[in-house]
Amino acid sequence: MDQQTREDLLKLFQTKLNRAMVYYLETCTRCGVCTTACHVYQSMPQARYIAAYRAEIVRRIYKKYFKGQGKLWPAYGEAKELTEAALQELYDAAYSCTGCRRCMVYCPFGIDTQMIMSIAKLLLVGAHAEPEILTLLADTSIEKGRSLDFFKEGFLQGVKNLEQKVLEKWKMEAEGKTVIPVDVEGADLLYVALAGAHSIIPAAAVFNAAGENWTLSFFEAVNFGAFVGDPTRTKLILDRIVNEALRLKVKEVCICECGTAYRVMKQLSGTQPFKVSSVTEVHARYLREGRIRVSKAAFQGQAITYHDPCQIARNGGILDEPRFILRHLSDDYREMAPDPRYNYCCGGGGGLVALGEDTLDFRMKSARVKAEQVQRTGASLLATACENCHTQLSDLNRHYGLGVNVQFLSSMVADALVVS
Amino acid sequence: MQTVYYLILVPMVYAAFAVFIVGTAVRLIQTARRPAHPTTLQIFPKKQPAWLYALADTFLMPSILRHNPVLWFFLAVFHLAVLLLIIGHLELFGDWPVFQGVPHEVFLGKGFVGLAAAVSLLYLLFRRFHAPVRDLSVPEDYYLLILLFLTVIFGSQMDWARRWYDYDVMGVGAYRAYLWSLVTLKPFVPDEILYSGHAFMLVLHVFFANLFLMLFPFTKMMHTFLALPMNLLKRG
Repeated sequence: MDQQTREDLLKLFQTKLNRAMVYYLETCTRCGVCTTACHVYQSMPQARYIAAYRAEIVRRIYKKYFKGQGKLWPAYGEAKELTEAALQELYDAAYSCTGCRRCMVYCPFGIDTQMIMSIAKLLLVGAHAEPEILTLLADTSIEKGRSLDFFKEGFLQGVKNLEQKVLEKWKMEAEGKTVIPVDVEGADLLYVALAGAHSIIPAAAVFNAAGENWTLSFFEAVNFGAFVGDPTRTKLILDRIVNEALRLKVKEVCICECGTAYRVMKQLSGTQPFKVSSVTEVHARYLREGRIRVSKAAFQGQAITYHDPCQIARNGGILDEPRFILRHLSDDYREMAPDPRYNYCCGGGGGLVALGEDTLDFRMKSARVKAEQVQRTGASLLATACENCHTQLSDLNRHYGLGVNVQFLSSMVADALVVS
Repeated sequence: MQTVYYLILVPMVYAAFAVFIVGTAVRLIQTARRPAHPTTLQIFPKKQPAWLYALADTFLMPSILRHNPVLWFFLAVFHLAVLLLIIGHLELFGDWPVFQGVPHEVFLGKGFVGLAAAVSLLYLLFRRFHAPVRDLSVPEDYYLLILLFLTVIFGSQMDWARRWYDYDVMGVGAYRAYLWSLVTLKPFVPDEILYSGHAFMLVLHVFFANLFLMLFPFTKMMHTFLALPMNLLKRG
């Protein structure tokens, strides 16, 4: 690696060193309590999958270039030079970590390994060594935001096709209202879906049943910039939605079932005149306020369990709402873990599912403990509230022969709707 | 030999405390001045009041208790022993009525606190020779534990000699004179300390302690001050 590249990368490293990051880099005592926290380590017990070990890859570079010991006594902390080989190690560490932060629950200091991995991801982006597909997908999202007029027609046509399906299934009288409203200024709620009918159709049915004054966003919620660890792209992708919400003067931005999208929107959009909610929260609210009614008949006879998407639950705070909903849908709901904080990651987060076939082998091997967690419940239906979790859990279902029916929670609500 | 003793007991002590105090202050201030993270870093569910849970996390180490109770036991014993030893050292400066809540001669515990510290340090050191912790550890982890062990064993040895073997040549009075002289910047080492048969024990204890203090601000030992702020971040 030439000196200029190294200097540029170290400048990027420097941009990450805020107070919290310095706490995390300085304080690890390598006590090893995080060892049994990580689903990857528990499934494949190798030292490189210990949370603190991944962090050490980054920390040893920090020790070399940002601490006196790097020059005076590098052997003391095994300070590491930033080289091509180091980049490979950074890649292996960053992309064997889903950023679920289960390790942070165990750590006596609450060290956030996901944060430390964000340094690794940024260095990889800076060295053009990141998984290209994620950057491509991020750039596509950004381009859509810039050239919306180019995409509008196609989008609106696609939405019209979906309206038919909503009407067919839920036979609700549209009452002159558009089944799937788009670009409605003055709507109360902006729903940001994913590029998939399953993300739009059931949600539309529930919003209409609740009599919500809503509008569908032009944009998909998913934030590939966050997966690849590029703060600039993350913000640009986020800004498309924020600007649309401001333009339409909505009171609430409701994010579909996408973990990272929800967390990024909720925690990184700053102070805005709208509130941010997840579709799970909104459905729970509708149930609580009696704006929708659901029947237990839809899932009669099925034992149901729920996988908490890490970015929504442990990292986003939405733990009670899905359970509230599921108790309205079934009398046989079973918990997977003694305490929702201890629910294992599905193994697909942090961009791993987005990398598709390339990571399939790793994703299946690293999430064995998740499959076991599901199996132990004896449930026949596995509900979840996140796109990538659903994909990963479906892959796990197939790979480990779990024999469960993997469902989106929002789609279960729609299926159980009692439409008067 | 007495010159070497004096160098370790006076100039090196001043240097060690200077590095420790200034180094710690500078590092804490530098870190505090960095920008805060723009958003929450907390783990859910929220437990209120957050500050109380953060204090509990920091001082009771509940997650270690849950996931590695043996480690928790030795960590708790070690840290408690350190606290009692710090109090004991403060009593080498003078009498503090507040510490006599449990009436005792200087160094509460009749020598068993030092023993507990030494044994728990050995556990913490030996566990680092086993996988998986071994694969995670760096030289710093071993150096600091060995340094602490040496400090504790030489220091405890002086206490054991006094408590268990009636060796009272180096008494509390002599220490008070020596330590006060350091604090008032008129350093003076009494003959009982400089010329007694066990002087080398004290000198080695102070030597290793000085090294530890000098390393402190630049190492993971800063977890002493950073643990609480970090747990506050985790609890929101």
